[in-house]
Amino acid sequence: MSEKKDHNLNSPSKFNDEMKNVLSAHQATELEKAQMTPLQAMVADYGVPRMIITGFLLLLFIMTPFVGVNLPMQITNVINRFSWNAVLVLAMVPMIHSGCGLNFGLPLGVIAGLLGGTLSIQLGFERFGGLVSFLMAMLIATPFAVVFGLGYGWLLNKIKGGEMMIATYVGLSIISFMCMMWLLLPYNSPTMVYGLSANGLRPTISLDGFYNQVLANFLKLDFEAIAKSQGISLGWLEYIKIPTGSLLVFALLAFLMWAFLHTKTGTAMTAVGSNPNFARAAGINVDQIRTLSVVMSTWLGAIGILIYQQGFGFLQLYNAPNNLTLPTVSAILIGGALVNKATIGNVIIGTILFQGMVTLTPTVMNAMVHMDMSEVIRNIVSNGMILYALTRKQEGTK
Amino acid sequence: MKSKRRILFILLTVLILAAVAGCMMVIGRGHTVYFDNKTLEGYQGQDYKAYERVVVTVKGEEVAKLGKRDRGMSIWIGQNFKMTLEVTENKGDEPWTQEVSIKLPYSVDGIVINLPAYLAGLPEEAWFSEFVPLVTEEPEEEEPGTGDEFGLGDGLGLEDDLGIGDI
Amino acid sequence: MSKKNNIPLNKHAVELARNNAVPIMFIIICAIFIPMAGFTPSYLMNEIITRMGRNLFLVLCLLFPIMAGMGMNFAMTLGAMGAELAIILVADWQIWGIPGVVLAMILSIPFSAILGLVCGTILNMAKGREMITGYILNFFMGNGIYQMIVLYIMGSIIPIAHASIMLPRGYGIRNTVSLLNMRQCLDDLLAIRIKGVKIPILTFLLVGVFCLFIVWFRRTKLGQDMRAVGQDMEVARAAGIKVDRTRLISIMMSTVFAGIGMVIYLQNMGNLPTYTGHAQIGMFCIAALLIGGASVEKASIGNAFLGVILFHLMFIVAPNAGGFITGDSMVGEYFRVFMSYGIITIALIMYEAKKRMNKSKAGRELAQAQKEEGAA
Repeated sequence: MSEKKDHNLNSPSKFNDEMKNVLSAHQATELEKAQMTPLQAMVADYGVPRMIITGFLLLLFIMTPFVGVNLPMQITNVINRFSWNAVLVLAMVPMIHSGCGLNFGLPLGVIAGLLGGTLSIQLGFERFGGLVSFLMAMLIATPFAVVFGLGYGWLLNKIKGGEMMIATYVGLSIISFMCMMWLLLPYNSPTMVYGLSANGLRPTISLDGFYNQVLANFLKLDFEAIAKSQGISLGWLEYIKIPTGSLLVFALLAFLMWAFLHTKTGTAMTAVGSNPNFARAAGINVDQIRTLSVVMSTWLGAIGILIYQQGFGFLQLYNAPNNLTLPTVSAILIGGALVNKATIGNVIIGTILFQGMVTLTPTVMNAMVHMDMSEVIRNIVSNGMILYALTRKQEGTK
Repeated sequence: MKSKRRILFILLTVLILAAVAGCMMVIGRGHTVYFDNKTLEGYQGQDYKAYERVVVTVKGEEVAKLGKRDRGMSIWIGQNFKMTLEVTENKGDEPWTQEVSIKLPYSVDGIVINLPAYLAGLPEEAWFSEFVPLVTEEPEEEEPGTGDEFGLGDGLGLEDDLGIGDI
Repeated sequence: MSKKNNIPLNKHAVELARNNAVPIMFIIICAIFIPMAGFTPSYLMNEIITRMGRNLFLVLCLLFPIMAGMGMNFAMTLGAMGAELAIILVADWQIWGIPGVVLAMILSIPFSAILGLVCGTILNMAKGREMITGYILNFFMGNGIYQMIVLYIMGSIIPIAHASIMLPRGYGIRNTVSLLNMRQCLDDLLAIRIKGVKIPILTFLLVGVFCLFIVWFRRTKLGQDMRAVGQDMEVARAAGIKVDRTRLISIMMSTVFAGIGMVIYLQNMGNLPTYTGHAQIGMFCIAALLIGGASVEKASIGNAFLGVILFHLMFIVAPNAGGFITGDSMVGEYFRVFMSYGIITIALIMYEAKKRMNKSKAGRELAQAQKEEGAA
């Protein structure tokens, strides 16, 4: 056993080669691809549902000028929403890589983030500025996320194969548990508690004066302001505002994730996800790697919700975290991830496509037919995407 | 052979269910019956005076006591509407009772019966009219499923229905 | 002598307690909460009886997919949606009273059957992840397809005559549809009152007939097939059972009966919350069944009865008890929701852990056998 371990792990190149073979197993094989026409091959690569969604989105984009919707403003919206959601979607990646499936237990991370956010306000860190308040929120959220992640990872190791259903219900349980806790915990910051009775937090807490927009405003590209200060007109460009800070943080986290996945531990994680038996034979401690992935996912979920909220401007407690899970899961699937395979590219594409759909459908539909079917469409698309992913036969799982 | 019998059996079941459903549609049609104790003026040059007092009993239950110009209502399932009227024609008169059975048209939800005209034995067009509910301007109900601009609060997942409420 | 007899008896008791840990826990919770809530016994009795009549039929629907080894049917909600579509139409056609209820039941069958067919087909494509797929299917159908039909198609394509159930804009159904004219008509017919407790005999009769049907069904060829599929799909397939078809039928039956159950439920409630009525049905029914001592792979009619009683007892007393303990009844409301989710979580964990344990045990046995064979 030890011989094997040494052999494999001391020659990373060979290890990686083998990994690549394992990983490509569930994609269309080269032979199959050769038999297809180029168009078919492209479709097979991109996936039919993603094709449809991209087509739908392109159609919406093309239609915008004709129905009188302000396209640059919509683009700003999409970028904004991308900056809020991208880190949450990124949180899906480690668990998918380690074969724990789609992280329906995202609320666990979200709760950790909310604890960090509320505690940072409670302890009054805004005295030292919004950025400190935000950093402290992240800092406080971290131990919660790690502890939750460890427990959750331990649990998921006990029930390999049934992760997704249990993750869903662990998420629902912790949300309803925290619903009680938000009422019972001894918070007393006047901005957060109900005015008179002073017991229980408000469902929505404004972040004005705390860390609202701290990342978004960092190096913000606001063409309207630029135009004003220069005294020139930039035309449609004036509608574009880019929350550079948030995007940079996402880029940093995404880069770190990418780098991590290329370290030895990261490769091991991929190995565990693609073929746990092979990984075990290669001397990888499967349970440990899985737990690590869960902790990472949970922590990213915590950071993700904090970034979301600084962009959104409000802390939302009680049942609100529920509404994040399914859209986040479907975003990464729309980006082309499978139940056991995801890349940073999937995260970026998926978030843009999903948020593009979320922003553009209501405005375009409203302008066109005065009938807002956007939510129904969004529900069908996002849940349909998850269903599609779940019903696909995958090799290499379990 | 066996499959043939099976298909026959299934067809029969469907037919029976359809028949029962059809039956239910006929016997279960509900109507709201309104009765007016109002003077009918100028019908073929004649007036039909409202009664002093009419007590309407439907299925043994007193549903309305009508003075002049009053309107009462009752609900009825099916088309053969029956009621008992206890009429006091003028003040101080001895009341008389009459059993009334009216065939209700299937397609009409609300039916208004003018009692003086009906009891005088006038043709249907004189006493029968359809009740048209007033179109009241209601405050715009918030349409379900139109969330706010932002991803969180809207019904992307379980919307505030984490079981709060009765089951 | 007596000592010797006692030991197995004790062991037996421990075993019994372990196997019924969940119901016992809930009996204890209820025993603590009831005095705190301060309800009169007759009120509690009344509520429990009403809720049994209302929910038992729905809970019993869950038994078919469990028989076929497909776990808890989270997609039972689809049947509820079918029933809701039927009841909206019946309300619009103004069919009242018992005929209205019967018509709604019959009308719900084709809707539920189609939804069940779709659901079963999808679940057959997702073997091994039936539960999560069913769970997502709920949202897909409930927030997607159902909402599309009710919010946009009804009134614009499907004719709706009455403005009273339509949104003011001219299409789509209102948030609540009043079922005043069929309210409790099933419960009130043949109902008897004992010391102020109303017992809806007819509803219980329906539930009883359904129970008999389930008992009978288990013994039919199809029922036996279903159980065989539930035990082991591969073995069943080898024995010549059409596995996919059997699974499909079990889901369809569950969905169709859930539709009928939902009509019973709605006639008792007396109004239809159009967009939220179905959302929690699946979750609460599953929680009730599990609290009755069922597990993901094994459930009986007795579990359903006990579960509905215990679950609803907790549900009734929790807000007041929460108010008593913390001074805020919202805590109690959240507590009961937490308990529902918590119990499902625990049951799922126990199920998966057991499945995994059996798997590894089987693997070890296989390895042992191979080793011995190799040695021989």
